[in-house]
Amino acid sequence: MFTSFDISTSALVANRTRLDAIAANIANADVPVDPKSRNPPFSEQVVYFAQGDPQSGNPHGVHVAAIQPRNDFRRAFEPWNPLADKDGYVRYPNIDPVVQQANAMLVTRNYDANLAAIEATKSMISSSLSIIS
Amino acid sequence: MTDPLGIVSRINTQAPGMSRPGQMPAGQDFKQELLDEMRKVNQMQQDATQATNDLLTGQRDDIEGVMIATQKADSAFRMLLALRNKVVDAYDEVRNIRV
Repeated sequence: MFTSFDISTSALVANRTRLDAIAANIANADVPVDPKSRNPPFSEQVVYFAQGDPQSGNPHGVHVAAIQPRNDFRRAFEPWNPLADKDGYVRYPNIDPVVQQANAMLVTRNYDANLAAIEATKSMISSSLSIIS
Repeated sequence: MTDPLGIVSRINTQAPGMSRPGQMPAGQDFKQELLDEMRKVNQMQQDATQATNDLLTGQRDDIEGVMIATQKADSAFRMLLALRNKVVDAYDEVRNIRV
């Protein structure tokens, strides 16, 4: 009876995960790549959705299949930077803040849409109670 | 012939002297059904409480799942309450029959 709740919830969780990735992208947009660091350099995190919700076992839900780095970098000429290479260039993750903001708006609207679906389910359930009362 | 419940035809084919309850289709009685539903609703409410506690103590972080568990418990309880009100109404109706 409550399967549509589970479907909408899986979409809410997936969209929040995507917003986490977007927040990380915005936060790390200006972090230069340290060539001496042993950690992999930050690049734009892209979230891929897939059908089905493994948590509730519902085939109509949605879940995050993978979060993968785009591995795209831009070079900036900053010879004063200690992280610059021998030609004076520093690598930054190629993240466009405008695109990230647009994606954030998209995710927020998607979240709202799924909230509206939950509201619709709620109102359907409560109005079905008026059949017998 | 409008007899969706099969009451008339059952009365007609009933052999004299046969007890009526023997003709009833076998199934769970109403009390057992109601108790099962109450147990399910109780379980959902306990799940919602557990989810809220887990969220507040930081053991899970999906606020949506917690909210939906609470909403499910609320909806289920309202349904059970509506059912109970209907049953009590029916009981009152029967009790008001003059004999």
